Amino acid sequence: MKRLIDAGLEQLASMLFRMGELAQKTVSLSVMNYLEGTHGHTQVEELSETLSEMADPIEGTAFEIIARFQPVASDLRILKSYMKICYDFRRYGRYALDISQIYERAGGMDECELAFRKILKEIGVETLNMVDTSIQALKNHDVELAKTLSTMEKRVDDLYRSYLDKLIETNTTTGCTISSLLAVRYLERIADHAAYIGESIVYLATGEKTTLR
Amino acid sequence: MSYGDKVEIRNLNIWFGDKHVINGLDLKIKANSVTAIMGPSGCGKSTLLRALNRMNDVIKSSRTTGDVFIGGKNIYENGTNVYDLRRQVGMVFQKPNPLPKSIYENIAFGPKIHKIAKGKALDKIVEKSLRAAALWDEVNDRLGDSAFDLSGGQQQRLCIARALAVDPEIILMDEPCSALDPAATAKIEQLIRILSTDYTVVIVTHNMQQASRVSDHTVFLYLGDIIEQGDTKSIFENPKHELTEQYITGEFG
Repeated sequence: MKRLIDAGLEQLASMLFRMGELAQKTVSLSVMNYLEGTHGHTQVEELSETLSEMADPIEGTAFEIIARFQPVASDLRILKSYMKICYDFRRYGRYALDISQIYERAGGMDECELAFRKILKEIGVETLNMVDTSIQALKNHDVELAKTLSTMEKRVDDLYRSYLDKLIETNTTTGCTISSLLAVRYLERIADHAAYIGESIVYLATGEKTTLR
Repeated sequence: MSYGDKVEIRNLNIWFGDKHVINGLDLKIKANSVTAIMGPSGCGKSTLLRALNRMNDVIKSSRTTGDVFIGGKNIYENGTNVYDLRRQVGMVFQKPNPLPKSIYENIAFGPKIHKIAKGKALDKIVEKSLRAAALWDEVNDRLGDSAFDLSGGQQQRLCIARALAVDPEIILMDEPCSALDPAATAKIEQLIRILSTDYTVVIVTHNMQQASRVSDHTVFLYLGDIIEQGDTKSIFENPKHELTEQYITGEFG
């Protein structure tokens, strides 16, 4: 027999998964626009705004479940994790908007040399993989998949650091430096949030508090 | 018994007739803390609680084997004075059960019987006990009134004060709030937390939220066996045993 709390948890999961799909779309659109040099700021801005608006009802539903059912054990861990992941999705949207804004203001990678463009693209693709993985792992509460985010995050971190070293070592134009420096920073932060989501998934499924960064 | 343990139960078995109710339990209860015993109806919670002051002895069909050490002394040893034991290990029941006497006499009854005090010393014990049970301010101007004139919540605090009056070390509570409204329940729960600074409190409760609110340690009992025990935060956030998870999340019980 279904428990009364189950309907609330299912509703919450469905709201969060919808937010996750939209966050994935927002990040993907913004990053691909940047990497491919296409304009799409208005759409990214709208999507980012929608993500912010989706967070409040999710938090409200989580609080209602706490107030009405006083959840414990796995129910409590799911609520705590979903609220944290909701914040991570919001940050996905915010950094996607930041990347889009920097493209609008300072241009993309056009002014950058090929070697820079190559690393930046690699960071972008790896970060998008992390976002996809975080959402897939969430939908299935898949601990093993969530744990793969650790290796991916390390890869993004390494690329980020090597990009900074390369910028310091090489003479580049101001446009390339400003734009790409901010873009890689935002991508690195998105990757961090993907890892946070992985940590939340491990916690909600097992109770284990782990670090994937 | 290690430092900090007030009670140590070793291989405790209890039968009622042919029915084996407690199956060879081992358990340590820490001093100056609240330990909650929870589990579904009929799992042996109250029986385990009543074993701590030998209240099961009054049931003719009961048989107990094993050891229960309180402060290092085995209470099931021959020659144990059960009256002294029940002074040392007080009990508060599900429904408030004041004596048909005045508020004052309810508290003074125990110290008089045990010849602990009389006269002004007895007055002091009455006041101290009522203060400790957070009832003094509500009744100090009507100590001669009948205890039955008090509300349900006040009567239960009176029963706690009565238990405290004989200077116990351990207080056992068998679902002490099940007959009370939410406001009276909240007062008793606050009181339980305060009492744990001076006493070792063991509480049996059906209400899991109450166990999580008031206790430091939780024991989950099922069909006479301890399935899981540990600090309350861990039990309610991340239970290790599937049965505990199922019970506290309401899948059975």
